Amino acid sequence: MSAITTEKVVVQPAVEQRRRLRWHDKLRRDRSLLIMATPAVLLLIVFSYLPMFGLVTAFQQYDIYYGFNNSPFVGGYQFARLFTDRLFWQALENTLVISAVQLVLYFPIPIALALMLNSIMSAKIRSFVQAVVYLPHFFSWVLVITIFQEVLGGAGPINHFLRENGMATWDIMTDPATFKYLVTAQAVWKEAGWGIIVFLAALAAIDQNLYEAAAADGAGRWRRLWHITLPGMRSVIVLLLVLRLGNALTVGFEQMLIQRQAVGRDASEVLDTFAYFYGVVNNNFSYGTAAGVFKGVLSLILIYAANKVAHVFGEDGLYRR
Amino acid sequence: MPDPLKGAATNRRQFLALTGLGALAAASGGALVGCSSNKPSGPGTTSANDLSKILPQYIPNTAVKPDVAGVAGPGGAVSDAVFLKYPSSPVKTVASVPGKGGSYTTMTPLWGAIPPSSGNSYYDAVNKAIGASLKLQPADGNTYGDKLPPLFAADKLPDWIQIPGWNTNNLNFGQGVSKFADLTPYLAGDKVKEYLNLANIPTAAWAPCVWNSKLYGLPVYPGGGGINGAYFFRRDIFEKLGIKADSIKTADDLAALGAQLTSTAANQWAFDDLFGNDAAYICQMFKFPSKWGLDGSGKLIHKYEHEGLIEALNWHAKVVKAGHVHPDAVAGNNQNAKQRFWSGHVTVAADGTGAWNGDDAKSGTAANPNYRRAAFKLLSASGAPTIELRPGAGMFGYLNGNLKPEQIKECLAIANYLAAPYGSAEWLTVNFGTEGDTYTMQDGNPVLTEKGGKEVATTFQFLVTPPTPTTVQAGFVDVAKDYGAWQADMVKYAMKPPFFAMNITEPSQYSSIGQAVNDTITDVKFGRKPISAFQEAVKTWKSQGGDALRAFYEDIRQKYGTGQ
Amino acid sequence: MTTEVLKRAAWEEKPTPAGHGAKTLTIAVVLAVILVPIYMVVITSFSTQASVNEAGGLVLVPSGLTTAAYEQIFSNQLIMHSLLVSFGITAIGTAISMVVSVLCAYGLSRSGSFGHRTILMLLIFTMFFSGGLIPSFLVVAALGGYGSYWSLILPGAVSVFNVLILRSFFSSTAQDLIDAAKVDGAGDWRTLWSVVLPTSKAVLAVMTLFYAVGYWNTFFNALLYLPDNGMWPLQMIVYTYTLQGNSMPGTGVTNTGQYFGHQELSPLSIQMAVVTLTLIPILLIYPFVQRHFTKGVLLGAIKG
Repeated sequence: MSAITTEKVVVQPAVEQRRRLRWHDKLRRDRSLLIMATPAVLLLIVFSYLPMFGLVTAFQQYDIYYGFNNSPFVGGYQFARLFTDRLFWQALENTLVISAVQLVLYFPIPIALALMLNSIMSAKIRSFVQAVVYLPHFFSWVLVITIFQEVLGGAGPINHFLRENGMATWDIMTDPATFKYLVTAQAVWKEAGWGIIVFLAALAAIDQNLYEAAAADGAGRWRRLWHITLPGMRSVIVLLLVLRLGNALTVGFEQMLIQRQAVGRDASEVLDTFAYFYGVVNNNFSYGTAAGVFKGVLSLILIYAANKVAHVFGEDGLYRR
Repeated sequence: MPDPLKGAATNRRQFLALTGLGALAAASGGALVGCSSNKPSGPGTTSANDLSKILPQYIPNTAVKPDVAGVAGPGGAVSDAVFLKYPSSPVKTVASVPGKGGSYTTMTPLWGAIPPSSGNSYYDAVNKAIGASLKLQPADGNTYGDKLPPLFAADKLPDWIQIPGWNTNNLNFGQGVSKFADLTPYLAGDKVKEYLNLANIPTAAWAPCVWNSKLYGLPVYPGGGGINGAYFFRRDIFEKLGIKADSIKTADDLAALGAQLTSTAANQWAFDDLFGNDAAYICQMFKFPSKWGLDGSGKLIHKYEHEGLIEALNWHAKVVKAGHVHPDAVAGNNQNAKQRFWSGHVTVAADGTGAWNGDDAKSGTAANPNYRRAAFKLLSASGAPTIELRPGAGMFGYLNGNLKPEQIKECLAIANYLAAPYGSAEWLTVNFGTEGDTYTMQDGNPVLTEKGGKEVATTFQFLVTPPTPTTVQAGFVDVAKDYGAWQADMVKYAMKPPFFAMNITEPSQYSSIGQAVNDTITDVKFGRKPISAFQEAVKTWKSQGGDALRAFYEDIRQKYGTGQ
Repeated sequence: MTTEVLKRAAWEEKPTPAGHGAKTLTIAVVLAVILVPIYMVVITSFSTQASVNEAGGLVLVPSGLTTAAYEQIFSNQLIMHSLLVSFGITAIGTAISMVVSVLCAYGLSRSGSFGHRTILMLLIFTMFFSGGLIPSFLVVAALGGYGSYWSLILPGAVSVFNVLILRSFFSSTAQDLIDAAKVDGAGDWRTLWSVVLPTSKAVLAVMTLFYAVGYWNTFFNALLYLPDNGMWPLQMIVYTYTLQGNSMPGTGVTNTGQYFGHQELSPLSIQMAVVTLTLIPILLIYPFVQRHFTKGVLLGAIKG
């Protein structure tokens, strides 16, 4: 979307002159916008950028007592150790696999739910369902997993029923092979309802007149969905998709931590738990920070790539060129 | 696999040696050359010789007599004394008000609801009694460890802070302890006579308070040597089924109970988690060290290398595969373990000894009036049982190094008051507040009133505590008697492991190598992976640093002894 | 503001029986899957120790009910003050965050504007890189935040995720409206205030909700920066109740005894009571937000 300038329209100065004047004019023209962005930028500089000096610990053997200034400098040692650690690659693989599964099985659900809710006629039912469906977001992961364990666990009603009737038990809570699907199911249960909120806002922003006009032209409900609703939500969907891809390396922490014993490390170790166990917990902050730096760099690459793909599809994505 | 980093590591080691940092370099002579300060760099350990000069003299208080005296065992172990009633005329152990009106900020962990900080008559009563103002700031116990590193890094430590032993790992405490006040000039040897209640604390509890040949910590909840835990069972269920607990002596006996005690239709399983975090409970039964031990030829051996651990893993995997362990325990749901025990959904569970008290009985009898917790006499895989002693205290209070000597003296006088032994007048004030207001006496034992229930929590007690006897809670006299009797029996088999109560900070580059082995242990103990996976993991552990650690500890042994 | 469209619009067809059936079934399943666990949580919070013992965990059919868990929580004097703290933090924090975020989002919403790509990169970068706990603590402490309420607000005041969403919605505001304003001589501030904001009510409501929930649930910052219990927000006080019945690691010493006035109470009940109490404010707020999601919202002044 190009900005419409309100400058003098009539005379087109020579190309060279225009280029030389351009950034001054732009600055003057856009100074209000820049002022608007300043408070947020200041806050981020102070509270996000200033602490980033801590990233230097990725290149040190950091020790609390010696601090940032006196901890020995070790160059790329932590990274070398990271990349030759079989467990690190396992954690990375788990992270990417779980992320992929969630992308396919989890991401579309809030959209579908929002669409379905939006089509409910009765306002009472609609409000009721909306209010209920986002409550699990406020449960802690400990509680969510306790609930899953109560219902689906070996001592729960489902397995009780299976045992009573001579069938094999369904050990979903302790099965490493299906863990990625379990984790996705848990995420859906907990977060899908919360996720519909943004989509509801997007749906509300679609001009209803378009529907009326389309219906008058003879478009049925599915064509209206395809030609009006989805395009109307497209920019938000793409934005969230790009962000999700950028966050592909963050698939959960507490959720994996709590179930680590149930399914074992091989299935549940993700980058964040890896950094936790091999960094923070065991007094090896530097190692954990190195893992974090790697994760950050990879995420930036991912989000850049995702944004480019979005451009290919004609969407703005995160930012335009 | 060949270690491609060997080159880098060696260079780093040389680099570290040049700057005198890193315990590996320091281990060869305790190099005292710091980078930019004169602080010593080393593992924080103290030699036995120095230790004997630093530890406060032990002067047990004889004014208070328990109903059942503690029983002594080998290695200096002593079981808890048992009090069935609070002495009717509590003796005063502190002659005058200890404080001089000073005010100090404190920080302690708390596992439980936080009492109000203002308008709290219990806080006020204790502060009045000590003649000073301690500002209590209890923090959430579960996340206490997350809070500490930033506080150390930013120098925002309060005047009096309590730090559990299990949190000192990632604080490089061997160095960090220098932020605290050195108490040696005030308490070493017979200087402690000025603070008789502190002298009443057994030496085994003071030993882990010593770092770098200086006394820094004040013991919290000390004892004559604690243990990891016990194997509990529901005595009422055993009696109903006619099982004689005394006939269960070996690991195989225990496993054999599995079938009899498991009935999935009735929602009952025989066992809850029997292994313990980091093999805490099962190491007793299979007689392998909880960390380092000495093998037949006197060499240091880590538990990962011990035969006993392999046997334990095989045994446990068998029990799990037989379906006798509660599925929630297999899923790692440990926070509801007590509930499962109370409900009878498991009959045998391993737990810390702190679970055996009147309040546990109150919870258990709420649904089943016959509920009765009991513990097996020490089990053993083969031969006579042994049990490893843990250091006499697990948590320690430290005074801020910025305090002036008069302030330190005032705090120690206050500590003397707070450490008044069970049975004294002061103990009631510190632990229960004011009679009639926050507690009343019922059947000779103090019980919190409703107001007390809101205001009183483990706060002052986490700064420094006297030795805790076994007492009667919620009117369950039998529980106290049972527990006392079990302890008297258990203490006969106590033994001190190598490096008992010695403070040692391991070099940080090896601190996470055990994690991979632990994870593999979890998989093997539940039968997810075969025992060969464990053996593989141990091989990796050895090459990644296990052998280097052994060299490190061997060096400590040469220099400082084994504390046994 | 908006009127609820209760009747089917003239142009919408009636749903097919199959479609209607499928929709009803899906909604029923979704509701069941969520409501049953919530029911279990609430019932457990009202259960006696005996009931919980019988169930061995979360209760489905209680044998005895009691309000003791709630009584115990509410009788804690700290709760009242912490409620005030939480309200204050949420109100002030949300206000600050919304103002800062809306301004920033609008400031970056015009593609081609000076430096907007750089600033955008700056924002996005912070989503993936962080100095870590200790450096953040050092910065806040150096600025005097230790023991101060603003440490709960300012460090997290800007959520880049929220800014990006706001920006996306602002960018797609009908261009004609903005042009019309420009023709009328409105500057950027005026345009934001009189054109863009009024037409973005839905997303503004949503972002306010997101921020408010974030501040209401603030926990970790309070843990780090507020040593004094008297200053704690609600979540901190309430979280400590969930630890009852948990033993201190390595000692096996359980903290139930000293604190319980009512011994009839299971630690699980208290934990569930805490969770239930957490849900109540959410349920109360939602109607306000939800008002903006109704169908039939006629936007702006575009006709025909």
